[in-house]
Amino acid sequence: MSGTEGPARSREKGRSRAAHPAAQEPVPGNTGVPAGKPAAGMITVPHPGGHAETGTAGRAFWSGAITIGLVNVPVQLHTMVRDRSFTFRLLHKEDGQPLRYDRVCTRDDKVVPWSETVRGYEVRKGEFLVFSPEELRAVAPESDRKIRLTKFVHYLSLDPMFFGTSYLLVPDRSEDAYSLFLSAIRKSGKAGVGTITMRTKEHPVVVHAYGGGLVATTLHYPDEVTQPAAYPQLRELKAPKDAELALAQRIVDELSGDFAIGEFHDRYREAILSLIEKKLAGEKIVYAEPHPEEAKELMEALKETISTLQKK
Amino acid sequence: MKRETDPAGTEELTKVRFSNLDRVMYPAAGITKKEVISYYIRTAPRLLPFLFGRPITMHRFPDGIGGEGFYEKDAPKGTPDFVAIFLHHSVTADRDVRFVLCNNLDTLIWLANLASLEIHATLSRAASYESPDLLLFDIDPEPPLGFDAVIDVAKVVREHLQADGLSPYVKTSGKKGLHIVVPLVPGYRFADVRSYAHAKGTAIARDIPYVVAEFPQSRDKGTIFIDYLQNAGGKTMAAPYSLRATPEATVSTPLAWSDLTRGVRAEDFTMKTVLGTHEEPWKGILNDRQKI
Repeated sequence: MSGTEGPARSREKGRSRAAHPAAQEPVPGNTGVPAGKPAAGMITVPHPGGHAETGTAGRAFWSGAITIGLVNVPVQLHTMVRDRSFTFRLLHKEDGQPLRYDRVCTRDDKVVPWSETVRGYEVRKGEFLVFSPEELRAVAPESDRKIRLTKFVHYLSLDPMFFGTSYLLVPDRSEDAYSLFLSAIRKSGKAGVGTITMRTKEHPVVVHAYGGGLVATTLHYPDEVTQPAAYPQLRELKAPKDAELALAQRIVDELSGDFAIGEFHDRYREAILSLIEKKLAGEKIVYAEPHPEEAKELMEALKETISTLQKK
Repeated sequence: MKRETDPAGTEELTKVRFSNLDRVMYPAAGITKKEVISYYIRTAPRLLPFLFGRPITMHRFPDGIGGEGFYEKDAPKGTPDFVAIFLHHSVTADRDVRFVLCNNLDTLIWLANLASLEIHATLSRAASYESPDLLLFDIDPEPPLGFDAVIDVAKVVREHLQADGLSPYVKTSGKKGLHIVVPLVPGYRFADVRSYAHAKGTAIARDIPYVVAEFPQSRDKGTIFIDYLQNAGGKTMAAPYSLRATPEATVSTPLAWSDLTRGVRAEDFTMKTVLGTHEEPWKGILNDRQKI
């Protein structure tokens, strides 16, 4: 689940757009591959066990307060969720130089500086309504740096489908009030519901206890989530036969267990990292070619077995 | 990720990329890894229903049985996505073990390609790891006694179980002995099953002088040991139809009780003999769950 609006540094995908030049960390050398000793955090050994990584404490990017009626708990917002997807820099094949994206005018192909841009809403193909920054600022929700909670609900009654991005709330010289609030909602199993304004968007938000801290999770608006009933195929599903259902349920029972997120790890990322290590060590990367003739016999056996298994 | 080109069209049939197919696994019998993989593919319909949901231990021989073998409980690095993993906290090792569950054909082929000649499976399934669904008697001879004596004792064990209203199943261990297995209804604890098996062994040891029921005597010359200790959490037995690392490429072969007559030899049940028959003496074993 990806947040609609995270802070720039938490979203690696932000790098592919030119909007946040600060997010483009320089890559040493011109090969696109980190040279020499990798920077801290660049190559990490994946955690083998079932426990989630504790991660490292980051910097606050938002500070304000939780407000419930007249009560204020000053807090700082910290990034909790990192997308660790692998990204490559795009290079010029000829000389290995990194490429950069530019805003180019579609009429004369000239690069347009930021200062000469305005925002437009496309009303019809090729027809735009132009908005000045002042006009947009007039309707932007005012960020008064408050997480306003208006209601408490059972945390387990929340629909995870609407969860957006989670942020850790850290007390801002408010340890006592923070601890009191945390203890109160942890005891009752409840979460506070309200709103938070980040940058120019107001989000519904829930504040709940998690792993010894308070976490604010933004929520999607109802019209941002498609309901299954929008699909005719799903509205017209036939009920299965009892015997089929019993068999399917047996399979489910046999595979039942406890949820452990540690069972999953990003294999593509691992493979790429080991490829990088090999390349850094000067190893040549070779691909195992399939052996068509050798494997032919196995394919015959496979065809037979697959058809037997399908009959079962 | 886009895969490399695939002239053999293997990708439609399996996601496993074969390697070192010509490596000799069984030097005396001249069996290559390709033949091992082919064996597991051909026995898959008989083997997979049993393995489903059961944590396994691999016994791998990358250089064949002439080289060194090693046991592996953990899914190795680079385990592909189609392999189901069961994460279990091992108290004895004080760490999480990522067990492989051989739930599909691709996993079985992948195991064979890893040169896991032997596949050992637990007596319980991942979903109820602490509760066995199989009772096992592991009957092993100590020379000069041999397979004939093992057969005699196995039949006595069977009579004792039948007296309790049970219908046990039998297979060769693939080494010198026999495994007697009773599929159980859900809910037993290993301790219950172990003490039941121990009591049977003790009773038989009282009647037959060369039978021993206790571990300390299990290596005494000229005895047959009825091992009840395998009925414990995390212990494994060679899966039915698992190859064994013996010169003859023996297989832990499910048998009908009528197959067991004196004169039959343990090493008669091999990769070749199993491939030569389509009989399935253990067919439906997991739908024949019994109460002890």
